[in-house]
Amino acid sequence: MPSTTTATAVPSSPRRRFALWVALLALLAVAQSLLVVLTLSYENSRAQQEADDVATDAATRLRQSLLRPLPQLQAMAVGLEGAPSVADLFQTHRALRRLEWRAGDRTLRQIQDSPWGPPPFAVLGRDQLALAVDDACSAAQRDESPAYSRSYYAPLPGGTGQELLDLCLPIPAGIRSQGDAPSWLVATIALAPLLEQAAAEPALARHELQLVGGDGARLARAGSRRGAGTYLGEQRIDLPGSALLLRTNSAAGRPSLIPHLNTALVIGLSLLLFAVAGLLARDTRRRAAAERALADELAFRQAMESSLITGLRARDLDGRVTYANAAFCRMVGIDAESLQSTPADAPPPYWPPEHAAEYQARQAERRRAGVPRESSALGFESVFMRADGERFPVMIYDAPLVDGSGHHRGWMSAVLDMSAQRRAEELSRQQQERLQAGARLAAVGEMASLLSHELNQPLAAIASYASGCLNLVEPQPGIDRPSAGPSPAGSATVTVPVSAAQLRPALERIAEQAERAGRVIRSVHSLVARRRPAEPQTLACAQLVEAVLPLVRMQARKCGARIEIALPEPSQRPLHVSGDRTMLEQVLLNLSRNALQAMDDPSVPSERRVLRWRIDTDAANPERIEWACIDGGLGLPPDFDRQRAQAFFTTKPEGMGLGLSLCRTVLEQHGSQLHGEPAVPGPGAMFRFSLARAPGPGSEAGVAASPRTIGSP
Amino acid sequence: MSSASTPSAASAIPLVHVIDDEEVVRDALAWLLRSRRLLSELHASADAFVDWLDQREAHDPRPWPDAPCCLVLDLRMPGTTGLQLFDRLVAQGRIPALPVIFLTGHGDVATAVATVKRGAFDFIEKPLANNALVDRIEAALEHSRVQLVQREVALGRQRALDDLTDREREVMGLVVEGQPNKRIADRLGISVRTVEVHRARVFDKMQVKSAVELANALRVQGPADGTA
Repeated sequence: MPSTTTATAVPSSPRRRFALWVALLALLAVAQSLLVVLTLSYENSRAQQEADDVATDAATRLRQSLLRPLPQLQAMAVGLEGAPSVADLFQTHRALRRLEWRAGDRTLRQIQDSPWGPPPFAVLGRDQLALAVDDACSAAQRDESPAYSRSYYAPLPGGTGQELLDLCLPIPAGIRSQGDAPSWLVATIALAPLLEQAAAEPALARHELQLVGGDGARLARAGSRRGAGTYLGEQRIDLPGSALLLRTNSAAGRPSLIPHLNTALVIGLSLLLFAVAGLLARDTRRRAAAERALADELAFRQAMESSLITGLRARDLDGRVTYANAAFCRMVGIDAESLQSTPADAPPPYWPPEHAAEYQARQAERRRAGVPRESSALGFESVFMRADGERFPVMIYDAPLVDGSGHHRGWMSAVLDMSAQRRAEELSRQQQERLQAGARLAAVGEMASLLSHELNQPLAAIASYASGCLNLVEPQPGIDRPSAGPSPAGSATVTVPVSAAQLRPALERIAEQAERAGRVIRSVHSLVARRRPAEPQTLACAQLVEAVLPLVRMQARKCGARIEIALPEPSQRPLHVSGDRTMLEQVLLNLSRNALQAMDDPSVPSERRVLRWRIDTDAANPERIEWACIDGGLGLPPDFDRQRAQAFFTTKPEGMGLGLSLCRTVLEQHGSQLHGEPAVPGPGAMFRFSLARAPGPGSEAGVAASPRTIGSP
Repeated sequence: MSSASTPSAASAIPLVHVIDDEEVVRDALAWLLRSRRLLSELHASADAFVDWLDQREAHDPRPWPDAPCCLVLDLRMPGTTGLQLFDRLVAQGRIPALPVIFLTGHGDVATAVATVKRGAFDFIEKPLANNALVDRIEAALEHSRVQLVQREVALGRQRALDDLTDREREVMGLVVEGQPNKRIADRLGISVRTVEVHRARVFDKMQVKSAVELANALRVQGPADGTA
């Protein structure tokens, strides 16, 4: 069946499947977290890169804007043609705060403040902040080229301040027209505007820019917002005579985990969704297969049910038929629909009307009893009626119908039609009777044949003697016919005087033979006369043997066999059995006859023709007496044991096969069994059976059990 | 049929052999036969009979039976059965001169009938052992006697045929064909007179008186060697 095939594939897999699922989920988790980590680190490095780029860019820009005024300033210092005016200069370079012309000893000669910003030295005088100028000019003097000073802080009115940077340009001596002409041009540049200018670039929108001095102090900051401090870029701005450090600080903070976790979750969930969809598809496929299997199973059940010869009938608690299979319908000859449509109060149509009341009572009783204990394997017999009114016996096996929720719903019954079985039993009984009758008839025929043979001899002798005597007493003309051939007397008619002495021996012989014939008749008569209804009697074994011995002896003589009968010593307990005398005698006769017939074959030498009856207490069970009939004949055919169970089985060409069958039946009635086996020592056969020992009647036992060995011709 | 010189077998004393395992039956039959003046020899079994026969033939080389006799044989006996003995006698070729009457029980009638078809003289069912049986025995003895006489006559003729000279045998052949003496003389190239002499000798030796009788004798005897 299909269900079993799927069931066999499953057993090892639940644990494995669970492990697989765990592994899958773990892998998924690892992949997801790796994804998140990688995404984060990528984003990190990208932001860092951006910060570095911005720093470089801003530094370049800042440097350019720091260096841009230098050529114009130089041109102005040299007094070149076309040099911009101071006002233009201030306008162009808004970060330029002040121009100073200084003498060789760096004393101020001329000052020009930028109009675009507050005066840088309003709070703190220039004198106090001249250190930077000195440094720058010293460097410029040393290098003979413009030099920038370190930055310095100049407070402004209102509590604020600005970071400034001085650019010192040496004015070459050749240009100086007068002796006290200033030899230095010092430009003071504010860093903050420069930085803001640089930060105004859209690329730097998301960054905070800081200028840091050589001592690490923050000089100026610009940028729309505060940096997050995560992605920092540093770039050194090298100026002649000075250096500045530009630090960029991206506003972008460390990338947060949560959005990435969501992504991962979405990915994971969709993966799970796919997995679930796959599982669902597989499940559906399996379900379809299971449904097919179920349909097959159902068809199988259906076929099984309709092939049943046992009728099946389901009834509800009211006794209404709710289901009947084909066999039941066939049995009662009514179709299932009309069975089911019978009204609840009417008896089912298969109840014989004469039994309806009884059945109803039985049903009511059962209904009161409710669900019985499990073991209702014992059915009950009943009588049903076919559609044509024929009554037939049935065997009914009931089982309660209990539905899924445990409620008792009715009864399911298996109904067996017993009529065929009854017929078979009847037939078998009749056959057995016929068989026994036939066996008796055969035995009687055998006896008649034996009798005729036994009686033939004395009768033939008597007839001969009598005819002879008559011939002597009254000589007939026929005797002396000339055609009778030449007789020793040779005379035509002779009348011989017959003396009594001549006749006497013949007459004596006649009497003797008549006596013999009478004995034969008596021996048979004594056997036949006892035909009484069977009633177990206590029988002495020796008597049983003695009763059949004359007949057996007759037959033994016919085939030239000897008879030996072995009974226990007289000192022992005499053997008695209980049983039907006639039947047991018949068994002894049949077995003896079989044995003799088995030896009545030309190939059996006369010294082997011995029939032995051995009667003794069973060695295995002292309460039984074993009888063994041993012959020296042809033995048993190889498949004897199997075949002899059949009636009419015979090993003899002229046999009817009834003898053994009858023996078997009789012995079975006496609680015994007939065993046929090869005789030891062979050749020949031994048939044995055992009978229950009966307590002897005591007084007559001595007479009966006179043990002896009887020989016959 | 019987000629002037009667064969010896015809005058011999007939003898009935009774073979039965039952002593009483043998004795009773002997008694009955004696009452009808028939001699009988009793044998207790087929084997005993065979022994008797062997001894008889050892002493007397002449073929047995030499006198009219018959066998009364019980069909069922211990040892060699009647049937087996009968088969042996058939094989020895004794049956035509040795009629066998079977004694049977009622169960063996079918077997007995079969033996009759194979050459047994008759069968008698057992209890019937009176004069009717003796009548059948006498008939059997007569049958045996006739057989023996025929055998002797035939033997005599054979001997006579053996006595003929070649010329006489030639003449006899032509005489039996019905040729007149003259033609015989022509055929053999001898004189009629010589033919007559030969013819007379043949008639004398064969103990016949006419050509017809001679032809008859030769027919009974079978084709005489030398002629045809």
